[in-house]
Amino acid sequence: MTGAWGALAPGPVLAAAEAAAAPGGHALRAVVIGAAVAASALAGVRWLRVAQREHYLPDAASRFAVRWWVRVPPNLAGLVVAVAGLVLADRFPAAGFATAAVVALGPVGLSLRGRSAPLAWTRRLRTLGALWALLVAAIVAGTTVGGIGPLAAAATALATPALVDLAGAVLAPVERRLGRPYVRRAEERLRRVRPTVVAITGSYGKTSTKGYVAHLVGGARPVVASPASFNNRAGLARAVNEHLAEGTEVFVAEMGTYGPGEIAELCAWVRPDVGVITAIGPVHLERFGSEDAIVAAKAEILAGVSAAVLVTDDARLARLADECAPEVKVWRVSGRDPGAEVGVVEGPDGLTVHVGGEEIARDVSLEARPGNVAAAVAVALQLGVERAEVARRLGTLPVAPHRLQPGVGPGGVVVLDDTYNANPAGGRAALAALGRLGADAGHRILVTPGMVELGRRQSEENAALAEEAAAVATELVVVGRTNRRALVRGADGTPVVVVRTREQATAWVRSHAGPGDVVLYENDLPDHYP
Amino acid sequence: MNASTARVAVVFGGPSPEHDVSILTGLQAARELAGERRPVEALYWSKTGEWWRVGATLEAADFVEGVPRGAEGLRLVSGGEGAGFVPAGGRLGRPRPLPLDVVVNCCHGGPGEDGTLQGALDLAGMAYTGPGVAAAALGMDKLAFAGMAAAAGLPVLPRVLLRHDTDHVGFDGPYIVKPRFGGSSIGIDVVEDLATARARLGANPHLRRGAVLEPYRPELADLNVAVRAWPSPVLSAVERPLRTTAAAEILGYADKYVGGEGMASAPRQLPAELEAPVAAALRAVALAVVDLVEVRGVARIDFLAAGAELYLNEVNTIPGSLARYLWVEPAVRFIDLLDALVTEAVERPSARHSAAGADGSVLRSAGGIAAKLA
Repeated sequence: MTGAWGALAPGPVLAAAEAAAAPGGHALRAVVIGAAVAASALAGVRWLRVAQREHYLPDAASRFAVRWWVRVPPNLAGLVVAVAGLVLADRFPAAGFATAAVVALGPVGLSLRGRSAPLAWTRRLRTLGALWALLVAAIVAGTTVGGIGPLAAAATALATPALVDLAGAVLAPVERRLGRPYVRRAEERLRRVRPTVVAITGSYGKTSTKGYVAHLVGGARPVVASPASFNNRAGLARAVNEHLAEGTEVFVAEMGTYGPGEIAELCAWVRPDVGVITAIGPVHLERFGSEDAIVAAKAEILAGVSAAVLVTDDARLARLADECAPEVKVWRVSGRDPGAEVGVVEGPDGLTVHVGGEEIARDVSLEARPGNVAAAVAVALQLGVERAEVARRLGTLPVAPHRLQPGVGPGGVVVLDDTYNANPAGGRAALAALGRLGADAGHRILVTPGMVELGRRQSEENAALAEEAAAVATELVVVGRTNRRALVRGADGTPVVVVRTREQATAWVRSHAGPGDVVLYENDLPDHYP
Repeated sequence: MNASTARVAVVFGGPSPEHDVSILTGLQAARELAGERRPVEALYWSKTGEWWRVGATLEAADFVEGVPRGAEGLRLVSGGEGAGFVPAGGRLGRPRPLPLDVVVNCCHGGPGEDGTLQGALDLAGMAYTGPGVAAAALGMDKLAFAGMAAAAGLPVLPRVLLRHDTDHVGFDGPYIVKPRFGGSSIGIDVVEDLATARARLGANPHLRRGAVLEPYRPELADLNVAVRAWPSPVLSAVERPLRTTAAAEILGYADKYVGGEGMASAPRQLPAELEAPVAAALRAVALAVVDLVEVRGVARIDFLAAGAELYLNEVNTIPGSLARYLWVEPAVRFIDLLDALVTEAVERPSARHSAAGADGSVLRSAGGIAAKLA
């Protein structure tokens, strides 16, 4: 193989190869190895950040590496150069410079330390970084002794994402063990304070529903809700250890899941009394495989509860309700059927809330999603809050920050901020709000990078989103590359503006929208997405 | 030792509904002391009762999610050798308590303001600012405070204990229902009649530990004044807080604290324009309270007034922001106020435990315990 390349190589390269083989070549080889290690260091910072942003999930860095290197054309060209350099490096060590240079500079667009979500040198990241560096050092040292230093060093640099993931896989059990004392403390604390525990999961609507429950119950009983993003093992342990004060009677825990078994593991020590599932959607589909697997993973929250609250507008949750054990009190609630046990329906002036078919409140904030409100009302009633008190507090329901909160931006533009939403159903609801608020506006603008983590359905879902947007919006601003093709395809006919960053999108809106115009910011992707 | 060389620890947070406001007070005090290059530690007391040593120049946002990054665990050890705030970490050797001279107590509500923390610090032999055990407990008990004030002849509105079976009080509605224990306006309700008041007892979690009832007089407006007792009693300017939310019937917690820096940024008239007789009466009552409660540190005394009417409402023994914003006439810089508190903490001990008289004579003549039980 190298012989063939050698035969094809033009004269000057041959000369360089000979020089490398000569004693002076040791210096060259050393410099190539040095350059490759330096490139590794830069790449390490980049991909460690991606691993951190992706919650240290297995293969996170590698998945994003494919996204960045393969799917972004300029980077693909760089990748070709880097691989070519690698192939040549064995025969011509100098070719390793090409690989090192590409790895040091690329992928273009993925910033080194991050702007929207900067690298944070936490204890966990330092440990991961140290192990990765150790791996790199071992490979480079070993191969240099073995005589293939330049090739191996360049390969190590190019394979940084895979090595970061490997280090992560090695450390995963260690991290679990390190977290155990916190979980044990939290378990003790729950035992001592003895709150009634409400656990909420769902593909979307968890955080809003949690806020509604805390609000509806808070007037009658001391409540603590887990803070916004504390929805995994470490987060919930911290929420209990730091927020569950003595005298707390109700603890509302939000539980997220990236895979089967995770919620069951949380429930083993959080021990919910009331389990709530708000909705099932294709969020994180690529990690679960199928929506049935998602339903099964969410259903883990119902093991051992004395009451279950299920938004049965989804047929799969209705089926789950039928499967609950007879001793479990099941609340079948709905975001569209006023006849449900708790039914919340959308009217022109707000939501109307029914309990057992009887209206208890009307004109509740339209920005709240009916299914979530229904679930929260059911939880409050289950916890013994009087119906009149629930009705009274429905009037002041908190609309969670970033969850479809209308505001007026500079220049009188009405801004609908739905940037924390990451699911298609939420996107549809937001589009409806855009249509409603912007009924008389000259411009109704949708700004979005699209939705992610939808597995094979991602392209299809984003095209569908753009198609629905086309019916409502006057312009569609597509941010970034991740879903550009699908969104542009779906928006067929509606003017589309394509920009690289959120900042550019905002600038475009500033210069094109005026007083009374409405702009919807739908989802936001951190800058480790292309 | 003087105020500028004393090793000071600012304590804030605590398992209290006013935990968050206390963080603001504590960070202000710590920042002010650190800015003047005083040796200062910031000790955060979490909602779950744990102690943490944190940076003295942190921002409020660092506490939004709980214990800030980089915090170091501590234990509060009361009594005996090695008492004080002791680092929890060290596995090698026995950790020593932080070298501290004075604790600046910035806790509001809950066990930081009701005498519990004060008791622990007294037992640990630590000097601290603010009320001692008795003053703190009295200031936190609205029923006891009003009763004592009435007994001392000070003007107060009727205030009675509200129970599940209360069916008669000596005055007509509408009424204000307040938690008996607790600092700020959290948990206060205005109700039309006694039946509604009793119903609130079950529905309002803040009333669980007890509630008091008093007449609701919408025409009465708040007047606040801060007081210092040491070295000699002095009063701040009088403040008239203004209500922002038209719908709210009384000055609520949100009016006071939500939206920025705490009370320093709430709307107010300061100094309040008062008729001379009202100003004189207020001054006399405030000075009487200083002695009755044994004010230590800085306290805020709240009044209700309309025209020539003036009523003593309550005393706040560790007020928000340590009432620093009230010291405009006479003007006192915050650092000078803190220095004065630190000096007072050292010069005027909060507790004088005495074993005088326990000289063993009782023990010598006691005979056997079994004989006493017989």
